[in-house]
Amino acid sequence: MQQRATERRGGRSLVAPRSFQVRGRFLTAIALRLENETPDEAFFDALDSHVQLTPKFFYEAPLVVDFEKVPGLVDEAALRDLIGELRKRKLMVFAAQNANAAQREVALAMGLVAIGGGREAPLPSEKSDRGRRVDAPGKAPKTENLVITEPVRSGQMIVAERGDLTVIGSVASGAELVAAGSIHVYGTLRGRAMAGVHGDETARIFCQKLDAELVAIAGLYRTNENIEDAHRNARVQVFLDKERLRMETLG
Amino acid sequence: MTQTNDNAPMGRIIVITSGKGGVGKTTSAAAISAGLAKQGYKTVVIDFDVGLRNLDMIMGCERRVVFDFINVIQGDAKLKQALIKDKRLENLAVLPTSQTRDKDALTREGVEAVLNELKQDYDYIVCDSPAGIERGAHLAMYFADEAVVVTNPEVSSVRDSDRVLGLLSSKTKRAETEGAEPIKAQVLLTRHDQGRIDKGEMMTVEDVLEILAVPLLGIIPESQAVLRASNTGTPVTLDDPSAAGRAYEDAVARLTGEDVEMRVASDRRPGLLQRMFGRTA
Repeated sequence: MQQRATERRGGRSLVAPRSFQVRGRFLTAIALRLENETPDEAFFDALDSHVQLTPKFFYEAPLVVDFEKVPGLVDEAALRDLIGELRKRKLMVFAAQNANAAQREVALAMGLVAIGGGREAPLPSEKSDRGRRVDAPGKAPKTENLVITEPVRSGQMIVAERGDLTVIGSVASGAELVAAGSIHVYGTLRGRAMAGVHGDETARIFCQKLDAELVAIAGLYRTNENIEDAHRNARVQVFLDKERLRMETLG
Repeated sequence: MTQTNDNAPMGRIIVITSGKGGVGKTTSAAAISAGLAKQGYKTVVIDFDVGLRNLDMIMGCERRVVFDFINVIQGDAKLKQALIKDKRLENLAVLPTSQTRDKDALTREGVEAVLNELKQDYDYIVCDSPAGIERGAHLAMYFADEAVVVTNPEVSSVRDSDRVLGLLSSKTKRAETEGAEPIKAQVLLTRHDQGRIDKGEMMTVEDVLEILAVPLLGIIPESQAVLRASNTGTPVTLDDPSAAGRAYEDAVARLTGEDVEMRVASDRRPGLLQRMFGRTA
């Protein structure tokens, strides 16, 4: 079972040393939605003052440029200038979204990738970031744990962006839990649980009864068919041990 | 013939929903609304399945449809013109839907206006939701005070019901109104077949309730009487006595706040059940 999962991850044979791992990765990026078809001095001034409010938030931040509102911004020089200016400000522009054909061509030439619409959040993280970082510059990011006291239903997705997620109740098949830290389920876990999504390899998943569709820690995952019988429907903790996903029955 | 009930609520809206199709929503909506009317409550049942008009057939009034729900919403007809009074129970009315329009004809404001007008005259307003979780189903549940989630004891139906329960607690007026009491949701288990459960072909009641984690309103046995009642345009609670009819009546009693012991009709010995079906079917 374990071996099968390992093989799937790395594609390695049983004797050869492993040369790579394929791992899932969640990436939080900032989307810069342009609303002005001619990015001029005033545009960059406004951008600079905005970045100045929360310099750390923007420093080397992965950034996606959203062209949805500016279909007319197709002039190659202007686009090159725009991306160059953004990069000058240490913004890691890596992708263009909602770009039309002309915009996409320039974007690709500048080393960007064109991506489809992802899920976007209307900047709550930036706001809370702003308050925190301005108040206490240089301090470690505050964790924000999330406690859900109702059953998590099929089709619901609960995200603890920067902390642990605790569910008091069951998690239905077709529901999804995502946490930067650990996930605790006081009930049956039938849905998907992804802990340590920002790469925290010490994150763990605990549940009173395990029948999950998928469990993952820091991108290493196991699906339901690879849950050993000894762990199925048992009280289980899932954790990483030397880059391996392990399950252990809790007494 | 029917006495009006004294402890009647003021226009309580009950949505009959499920997510999955074919689990018995319309049959249940018809049986429950007829059961409520039989108990003396002024009841109206609304078909929200625009484009797939079925409720009027189950209620046996399809030949009397002139105006419909959509006509009322769009102002082409008065509500009183579209309501069809039941011929068997004077305090039961049906608001049929349109067979030729689609769900986009439903607007939230229009639905709200119709429901508010019905609240003036009726104790219970039963909304028969279409399958799915799109516009029609959303508007059917949006203004509800109470929900009956119709579920068959099988995995896909249970999962869809779970999804619907999630929507009831997040995408409805009560959910969106700060401080409002959440929608009271209960499961109605239909097509219950103890024989198939014993053979492991269906989920047990306990399994279903463990997953859905809401109270059980009733268990309706799989029954020929249900099919027969549908085909003759008679809600099963108005038809000749049957196990399914009794189970619906129990469910209706629980809806109105009575404490009725949960009976599983098919728990009885097969011989008796067979005889019972032999008599009614």
